Amino acid sequence: MAGSSRRHEPHGAADTAPSSILKDLLATYPAAQGRFDELFEAPAKLRPHWAQVMSELTATPATDVRERLAAAERQIRDSGVTYNVYADPQGLDRPWHLDVLPLIIAPDEWREIEAGIIQRAQLFNQVLIDIYGSQSLLKQGLLPPSLIFAQSGFLRPACRMNIPGGVHLHVYAADLARSPDGRWWVMADRTQAPSGAGYALENRLIVSRAFPALYRELGVQHVARFFATMRDSLMHFAPKGDGPTLTVLLTPGPYNETYFEHALLARYLGFPLVEGGDLTVRDGCIWLKTIGGLKRVHAILRRQDDNYCDPLELRSDSALGVAGLTDCARRGTVLVANALGSGIIESGALLGFLPRLAEHLTGQPLRLPSIATWWCGEPAALADALDQVRNLVFKPADPTFPMEPVFGQDLDKAGLVALRKTLAANPERFVAQELVRVSQAPVLDKAHSNRIAARGIGLRVFAVASPDGYVVMPGGLTRVASSANVRVVSMQRGGGSKDTWVMSAGPVDTSFTLLKSTVTAQDLVRARAGIPSRVVENLFWFGRYEERCDDAARLLRLALNQKLQETDDEENSLTPVLALATAFGLLKDDDDPDSILIRAAVSEDHPFGLPANLRALERVAFNLRDRMSLDNWRTINGLIKDPVLNRTASLAETLGWINRTITSMMTLSGFALDGMTRDDGWRFLSIGRRVERLAFQCLTLQTAFEHRIDSGLSWLLSLADSIVTYRSRYLARPEWLPVLDLLVLDGANPRSVMFQTAGIHSALEKLETVYGACGSELFGPALHTLESLDPARDLHPENMRLRDTIDELRSAAFVLNDRFTQRFFNHAHTAARATLGL
Amino acid sequence: MGCEVSMTDPVTYRVVHETRYTYSDTVASSRQLAHLRPRTTQWQTVHAHHVNIDPAASEQSEGSDYFGNGVLRFAIDTPHDELTVHAESIVEVHSHVPEIGAGPAWERAVAATGEWGPDDRFDIAQFQLASPMVPSLPEAAEYARVSFPAGRALPAAMLDLTRRIHVDFVYDPKATTVTTEVREVLAHRRGVCQDFAHLMIACLRSLGLAARYVSGYILNRVPSGKSRLAGADASHAWVEGHCPGSGWIAFDPTNGKVADLEFVTLGWGREFSDVTPLRGVVLGSATQKLAVAVSMQPVATKNSS
Repeated sequence: MAGSSRRHEPHGAADTAPSSILKDLLATYPAAQGRFDELFEAPAKLRPHWAQVMSELTATPATDVRERLAAAERQIRDSGVTYNVYADPQGLDRPWHLDVLPLIIAPDEWREIEAGIIQRAQLFNQVLIDIYGSQSLLKQGLLPPSLIFAQSGFLRPACRMNIPGGVHLHVYAADLARSPDGRWWVMADRTQAPSGAGYALENRLIVSRAFPALYRELGVQHVARFFATMRDSLMHFAPKGDGPTLTVLLTPGPYNETYFEHALLARYLGFPLVEGGDLTVRDGCIWLKTIGGLKRVHAILRRQDDNYCDPLELRSDSALGVAGLTDCARRGTVLVANALGSGIIESGALLGFLPRLAEHLTGQPLRLPSIATWWCGEPAALADALDQVRNLVFKPADPTFPMEPVFGQDLDKAGLVALRKTLAANPERFVAQELVRVSQAPVLDKAHSNRIAARGIGLRVFAVASPDGYVVMPGGLTRVASSANVRVVSMQRGGGSKDTWVMSAGPVDTSFTLLKSTVTAQDLVRARAGIPSRVVENLFWFGRYEERCDDAARLLRLALNQKLQETDDEENSLTPVLALATAFGLLKDDDDPDSILIRAAVSEDHPFGLPANLRALERVAFNLRDRMSLDNWRTINGLIKDPVLNRTASLAETLGWINRTITSMMTLSGFALDGMTRDDGWRFLSIGRRVERLAFQCLTLQTAFEHRIDSGLSWLLSLADSIVTYRSRYLARPEWLPVLDLLVLDGANPRSVMFQTAGIHSALEKLETVYGACGSELFGPALHTLESLDPARDLHPENMRLRDTIDELRSAAFVLNDRFTQRFFNHAHTAARATLGL
Repeated sequence: MGCEVSMTDPVTYRVVHETRYTYSDTVASSRQLAHLRPRTTQWQTVHAHHVNIDPAASEQSEGSDYFGNGVLRFAIDTPHDELTVHAESIVEVHSHVPEIGAGPAWERAVAATGEWGPDDRFDIAQFQLASPMVPSLPEAAEYARVSFPAGRALPAAMLDLTRRIHVDFVYDPKATTVTTEVREVLAHRRGVCQDFAHLMIACLRSLGLAARYVSGYILNRVPSGKSRLAGADASHAWVEGHCPGSGWIAFDPTNGKVADLEFVTLGWGREFSDVTPLRGVVLGSATQKLAVAVSMQPVATKNSS
């Protein structure tokens, strides 16, 4: 404690009085006025830990503060931290506001919170054991049966299950707020699939980097151990059998508002990120469908709500779950974290009964109380609530019930009458809660030249079950109200967040990071073979669309340049180029090429144009966000947000845009070539690209053969990016023999038919060593024919052997696509349908 | 109706319940959850029960649900275009209807919640609350009121409501689907047994009474000159209302009568979705056709005359 008290002591009494820079920074900071203030303990007197922060912050010129803010903001945008907000017209990628100033909590204060959270987690786990088991709390009248039975969160199919280790509640989160007297209260409990721990981790990585010295000096406790405990505990509690213990993170998919966090956590914990369609039930167990076959799943960290986990036994309209999961959980062959039905605890109706339950089940008074809450299902409580209606907020007892909270203070006479009527009709459906004036904390205010403003805050704290009891993350996700005067602090309402710094009483334990975890040889094998089929399909299509965008861009550039007559090519090549554009879908026979080509280049309403293909690429990349580096994402984002899109563009602007696209596509393929591990996933991406390119090359050659009389050949070289090579080899104008040699037979040219055919063939052979027949026989004979072609005899456009081989390869590319779909991807498309029989 | 009431000897039935799905495309795999085993009760004994599944299930298991009803879970992992589930049961039913004229005033039953023993109260409470398919509806309470004047004995009031629904509503299989809401049934005055059961449950619950949904079968009897009982060619549904002192009494609003010897009980729950005879999830078919055939016939037994 001696060390810590020195650390917490302000550098000198003078430091608690604002310096002049600080005065300027705080010029618009409002007095707390009936709230607790996290920054000041008295007018003009900073709290000790803030005095230290402020002296750090103001020791450098004000511009430096701004620079740090800007840097942190760039980092947030670049790393794609988003919080998808349902029905947000801005779409799925609203940047998420992270305030750079952390919330700081002193050690002794934290000890109280920690003990209270542990007690609540234990208590809730016991309540869940009871509700879904003997139901003695209901029978003894400690909980009104109608309170439980009226909740949609009470899942009858989840009763009498075989719960591994007796742990229903693996991950628990509580939303805390601080009342004017400085006490922390629980506003809400999160028990089914709490979100936010991943965001807390991300915030920590960003904010600790923004203030490295301060972070060290304050002795901030690290949060990494919490995640290691989560990973190890799930493995500990999980049932065993059928190979190494496999834990997966089950996500509703990229359209869920917290998908970013799912991807982040899965990566950090080393769990495969799966969707319902990736899992299946066999012999009473859950299995992961991978391209290498089924792998037994022992534990599921789920981020899907209770009701959506199993269309067979729970909500039949859920397209997200795993049919049969409930029965596997019932048998205890899989650990579901949190156990099905845990959501019942989230009902506000339970809160008023907690003190009694705590005494009864733990023999201790409740350490961390909930804010005063009345369940209207009790007549006395309802009368009590109506007596002080102005001070309360009324909410549904069932948190899934779609109803905005009603603030008593907002109601006029008619509103009050309506509220009374609603409550009288179904009192058991509602709770009344006291309004808490939450504490205010300092935030950097961009709108006012980076001065410090005040916002209401709430704190989400996390606990995880371990074999030694619950462990609390030293920190958490601080949530910030979106404006100075908002009563409900919520991410979905457009608020922001802060990192949470818990100061250490002793030396900070830095010995541990997740990166040092024990990876066994078994784990390595599993990671390689366990790629979900859905992921592989997306990788394959990423390759295809990336190449298709490149093909479309090059073809459009060629066609538009031909129109401009800008080439140094004296031949007339417009006819074959337009024919190819038509075959590619860019033009229709009766289109006016002049206007349609530009539209195909810049306008999304052209169904086969460049923007439409870029959108398709973006969609696939979106589904792969957890597997692709941020650089990929940034590159695609840059294109999608290009200002030229969907406007009336001049020819010059259009060509500029096409050039940008081609450069970006080269960047993307560079990432794949240079940055991706050569695993089976990469192999599928690469085959996807090669197949698309081969099909395009064949189509191009077919078109050239057809127009062999009426045009020159420079366009062929230009489209295949081979003009430079050609000119360095032959000083003559393009002729069929050398052009076909370069574009068909030259195994060293990545845009030759030979190069791609051989590449596809050998990649398929590699896959076949693991997965059996994959389609190499589709390319073997054609490859053999290519190798046996005699340049002198065969390399001219009338040669049927050459033309047949090109035709054959183009159709092989299509057949391979169908084969892959059937062999590897098929189930990813099959939608589950619920049926009812009378 | 006189002849049915006079029949008090136990009867043994053979019930065949066949469900057939024909799919528009091949189904790759299918998981099903069946409530097809008749429940053993104080008045009902199941002598034999067998389910035949075609194509054969790759795995199956029997158990019971939250309400104590028997469930069969099975999965089929071989591709198929058609699924047939054939359930056959031999069930002996004893008369179990209490004296309808007696019983407490209905208001006392509402107030009596607190007087039941802890276990009873606990079991009954869940049947007093709204459930997803039977939300609490003011218009249902209004409809029910007519049958519940002050002081009327509960069993008589419930029977009156049963008969009114039978008279006021048209049995019309085309009017509704399995997901039709009580509100619509009440507005259009048409429906099938499931709708009338949900409606009656809504009525009773809206008055504060406990009511549960019963799934089962009704005797397919076609005496000369009489029309068949509605609902006899498919599985049937009716209602049990709780009466302090007597326990659960069964009423069939579709046919406007007390449910006794002509009824075989599969199981009960808060509503249809708790005891759906067959619910499933299939992978791979765009649409399906459903055909259900039920037959229920008395069989000669050694004990009966």
